[in-house]
Formats: sequence, structure tokens, C-alpha cells
Amino acid sequence: MAEKGGKLLPKGTKSSLTSSHSSLGSSKRKENCPTKSKKGRKVQFDSSIGSTKSADKTESMFDKVNLGKGGKEDKTGNAAKKTPVKDPQPLELKIEQELPECAKCMMDAEALHILQGIQDQMVILSEDPSIKIPISFDRGLQYAKSTGNHYTDYQSVRSILEKLKKDGVNEGELCVIANACPETADEVFALVPSLKAKRSKLIEPLKGVLSELVKLKQSS
Amino acid sequence: MFFHITLERNMQLHPRHFGRNLKENLVTKLMKDVEGTCSGRHGFVVAITGIENVGKGLIRDGTGFVTFPVKYQCVVFRPFKGQILEAVVTMVNKMGFFAEAGPVQIFVSNHLIPDDMEFQSGDMPNYTTSDGSVKIQKDSEVRLKLIGTRVDATEIFCIGTIKDDFLGVINDPTTS
Repeated sequence: MAEKGGKLLPKGTKSSLTSSHSSLGSSKRKENCPTKSKKGRKVQFDSSIGSTKSADKTESMFDKVNLGKGGKEDKTGNAAKKTPVKDPQPLELKIEQELPECAKCMMDAEALHILQGIQDQMVILSEDPSIKIPISFDRGLQYAKSTGNHYTDYQSVRSILEKLKKDGVNEGELCVIANACPETADEVFALVPSLKAKRSKLIEPLKGVLSELVKLKQSS
Repeated sequence: MFFHITLERNMQLHPRHFGRNLKENLVTKLMKDVEGTCSGRHGFVVAITGIENVGKGLIRDGTGFVTFPVKYQCVVFRPFKGQILEAVVTMVNKMGFFAEAGPVQIFVSNHLIPDDMEFQSGDMPNYTTSDGSVKIQKDSEVRLKLIGTRVDATEIFCIGTIKDDFLGVINDPTTS
């Protein structure tokens, strides 16, 4: 029974396996088969929620082994389950679920303003040799400088983007739009897939907002 | 992505720090303990912006230390899955390339680099398109999407992709 299920051999040998898995006759396969198929099954269920990479791996493994031909009922059941392959859902930003409610998402430009203020104070503190400025502060400031300087005035950017809130865009999505500096509405929908569902509702206000933001862009 | 967040921490202070400067000592200790650290939930604490509240101290039994609950506001940097960000390439090899965005390290595997880009080894290893129009090498700026994060004791490490629309090289250091 176990033999019919076939052994999960490395990729190169899979084509021979599909035609002649009954001819393979080693006892090791009996041990390997059930555990590997179980592992494969677990990964397969997880892959519908998890990454596309594991889904590709397990699907290719099951494809080559061709469990559908024979073997246990549960394995054929498995093969049937895997055949309607769903397109992997685009990865969506889910900030609200992971951070406490009091967390306020900041645009890189806003963060730059705050960190520069702190840096000025740190100059005074750095005279004290016991106080070391952490590396993450320097890196954070450098990053904010490189990404937060797209616009001349972050407060105007914020007030323009706030208009999108009434259309159902949340804080995190607004910040991604502000940081990415998109040029077209298509770019916004590509970068923030969670907005695609509201595309018809958002497209016009978004175009208006983007045209206003263009005026605020700093000439580099 | 940067966040402004209120956190709470129990600070232990040795009695030698008591006196007129108790609060300053407490704040200094908080900054030393917290700034530069990272956690899975909040990401990197980049800087403390203010102290909201210092609670009443509680003397610990057996030692003379006193515990103060301190509520403080800080700027944190936390990467999220699905986030788009711009990073600077730090190293390129045949497995992919490493990039840095603030305090966070990101790795983009060659499987997540568009198929028309191939690895070119040499003094300056890089990924180049077949027509040579687009190149990813050290110090290039790339826009990428994060697809996974891993938190260590001291740092956060991410996996990214440039295989989607509107992702890839922004700025080539050789042309600028």
C-alpha cells in the first residue's frame, strides 16, 4: 500500500517514478512515504495561507510523484484538493492588527522633522562621554533624510492625503502613498493592493490628490 | 515605516541616584536602556521623544532598588510584510542582494529578481538586464516590497522582492 504511494525522490528521478513506482521495492520507502506525505500534506495546507514558495515546492513535489494514480485514499484526496490552485493573494499591509491602537503611523518626512530636532539636542548630550548615540538613531535619521525629502512641506502633504480618509483609506496606506511618491493612480493600486477593492470609488479622488502632490514635490 | 508610539517600562533605580536629579537620572537610564533596542512587536526604538508620566516608585523587598513605571513616547521603526520601501544595496552575490533601509537589513533572493536580470560577477558584482539598461549594484537605490520579517535579539531582518510592478532600481550610482 505504501509502495503504491511512491517515494518522494529528488527531482531528477521523478519522471521514471510516475511510470514505474510499483517496481521500486525498498523497505525504506515504506518508512519514508507516510512521514513525507504527512509533512507534504501539512505544508500544502499551510501554503494556502503562507508563502507562495512553499506552495510551489510542494505542488511540484506532488506533481512529479503523481499520487493520483494509485495509493491511499487520503493521498488521492490530497491530489484532488491541490488541483484547483488558487492564485496567491497579493501581500497586503496589515498594520492595525499588529500594533497597539495608540501607534501613530508617520510619514518619513514627519519622522525626519522629529529626528532632526532630537539630533540638535543630542549635540549637547554628546558632550557627555557616558551617553552614546545609538547606531539605529543614525541609520534611522539617514534613511529618513533619503526618503523624507521628496516633498518641500510635509504638513501640506499630510493635509492633502487626509482627504482620502473619507474614502476609506487608512493611516498606514496613506503613509505608504506618501513615502512611495507615486506618479499615477495605477502605481498606487499596484503598491497598495488593499486599495484595489475600492478602485472605482478611489480612482478620481486619488488622481486629484496626486496632481496636487506633484506641485509639492521638491525639484531634485 | 516610522511610528510614534507610547510605551511603558518599569525602570529600576539604585538609591545612589536619588535626590534632586531623580527624574533626570531616571530619564537618562531609560534612554540608555531603550534607545537602539528592538523587539518583534514594536521594531527598533529609534529615539525617545518625551516622557508622558512617571509613576510612584515601589521599593523592592530585599534590595534597596526602587521600581518606577515610566510611560514614554518614542519613534519606532518597524518593517511590515507588504510594505513598500526604498533601500540602498550593500552587497550583491549570485544568491541575490542585500540592502539596507534604516536600521533594517533586507535580502532579495535571485528568485525574486525579475528573470531578465542576470548576475554578472567581477570587481563590482551586479544584476543587469540583457540589454544593459538596468543595473543593480552596490549603492544602487531600489524600491522593494517586504514579504517576510524575522526578529533577532538585536536586529530585524527582512526578505524582499522586486518582481512586482513599479519595483526595482530608482537610482543607479554610476549615472548620478
